[in-house]
Amino acid sequence: MKPEIIAKDALVPKRLSKIIVSGNLEDRVRRQTGELKIQKGQLKQGADREKLGADRERHGAHRERQGAEREKQGADRERLGAVREKVAEEQIRVRTKAMDATLDGIFIIDARSADFPVTYANSAFYQLTGYSKSEVIGKNYFLIYGYEVNVRVLEEIKQTLRQGKSFHGEMLNFRKNGEKFWSLLRLAPVRGAGGLITHFVGIKTDITLMKQQDLEIQEQREELLHVTRVGKLAEFVSSLAHEISQPLTAILSYAQAAQRMLNGREPQLKEILDYIISDDQRAVEVIRRLRALLKKSKPVFESIDINLLIHETVTLIMTQITIMHKTIKFDLSEALSPVQGDRIQLQQVLLNLISNSLEAMEECSDSLELLIRTRRSDSAGMILVEVTDSGCGIPVENMEKLFGHFFTSKPDGLGMGLSISRSIVEAHGGRLEARNNSGRGATFYFTLPVKPVLQSGI
Amino acid sequence: MALVKKVYVVDDDESVCRALQILLMTFGFEVQTFNSPQKFFDSVLIDDPGCLLLDIHMPGLDGWAVQKKIVESGSKRPVIFISAEKSDIATGRALQAGAVGFLQKPVNGQTLVDMINAPADDFESRVK
Repeated sequence: MKPEIIAKDALVPKRLSKIIVSGNLEDRVRRQTGELKIQKGQLKQGADREKLGADRERHGAHRERQGAEREKQGADRERLGAVREKVAEEQIRVRTKAMDATLDGIFIIDARSADFPVTYANSAFYQLTGYSKSEVIGKNYFLIYGYEVNVRVLEEIKQTLRQGKSFHGEMLNFRKNGEKFWSLLRLAPVRGAGGLITHFVGIKTDITLMKQQDLEIQEQREELLHVTRVGKLAEFVSSLAHEISQPLTAILSYAQAAQRMLNGREPQLKEILDYIISDDQRAVEVIRRLRALLKKSKPVFESIDINLLIHETVTLIMTQITIMHKTIKFDLSEALSPVQGDRIQLQQVLLNLISNSLEAMEECSDSLELLIRTRRSDSAGMILVEVTDSGCGIPVENMEKLFGHFFTSKPDGLGMGLSISRSIVEAHGGRLEARNNSGRGATFYFTLPVKPVLQSGI
Repeated sequence: MALVKKVYVVDDDESVCRALQILLMTFGFEVQTFNSPQKFFDSVLIDDPGCLLLDIHMPGLDGWAVQKKIVESGSKRPVIFISAEKSDIATGRALQAGAVGFLQKPVNGQTLVDMINAPADDFESRVK
């Protein structure tokens, strides 16, 4: 760390190294006199330089008129200098106050010392980290992170600083009292005269709330995916169980019929038939247990604002929509009564229809827009939800099979999504249908009753 | 009373139909099978005597709908539901709908025959 910087310094031309030396001096002064004064000093230096330039100009212009006016000019100059200094001081005051007023933690690190000491931090920084001024100023910047912080992230920041680059990243931080918070950290090099990096300025933003919302959305999405997966599995097992129980029923009946036909003759054959019967019953038992294991959870009916539910569901797959470069449009009727339904199940239906539409549009790369509409249905007491894509549409021969078990047009599809969606909508007392648009693409639409449905025994 | 008892089987699975037919024949029943409700309605008249073994899960009209149609037609035909569905819920629903009973697949021959015989005398007296 340190040797690297010294080596760099060794290569610097003499003129620049002077600045570095003076910088170090300044540094020492800074530590004694405190931050504000140094800043003032720096600014004052700047003001002085400005003054000098102006003076030179004036000097050239008035070179011929010297002599008597010279003294007066000197006095003016001094007065002007005093005014400028006042302006500069005022600016510093405002800037310092402004820095302290922001909610982002702002801090400055000295890049010329291998210890990377913090030379300035605003109030928000102290509030954010929980450290006091004396625990921060002059101390190694990286020590403020404590021991719990992710070492790899810290190493990445160190590397970036050593290379004189900017850093931008999110990380989990710990306050002095050990409390966790997520921060967005941005560090940028500050270059002095000659382009050499003298400081780094950092901005630290508390993004815990945003991060939590992200995580919540993530969790909801996972939960929904899980429920969908379990639903698919349950539906799959249920149809499998039905398919298998048919031949098992036949086998049992055949065996029992054969036993009756033997009517006590051929005891060995009777024994074999006994084995067939008991194994048949064993297989039946396995299937029954499997079914019981994946029994569908009972729907929980509540009053639901369908428009709100649509927005919530879209939020869950917004990332996917953005990645696929598609846009989603809403045409939601505001005057809709709430529907009675199971939130998770209806989300499952919406998610399934939206995902299908997105995939249908993926096949036709030039189609971009997905439209979700809600309105009052023509049939009384019902609302209508439509998901319209501009994809390739549904081939006529597939129209009838769409909602059947195991029907899929996707290479990796299970063919359960639409059949589950339909049974969910029907359990809610509505209907789920599909039609090809008059233009391009297809529309899947379902109805839901606004009045509570009497639950059937299924 | 020397009447041969008649049983109709409606199940979309051909093998189930055949197996139940063979099994019930060993008990002395006359059995006629149909692998769709429509075929049953097309060839069996409302007043034709006989018990109906009715599968529940079928494409098109399901067992519940078929039974409802039979009741609505004014027929007093005894109906026994057979399905892979769980029995306790379905039994209640079957009895409520006016059926003789419900049996979970696979069905045991003797149990089935007992259920068919239970209402048979009743049925015969009603028809006469």
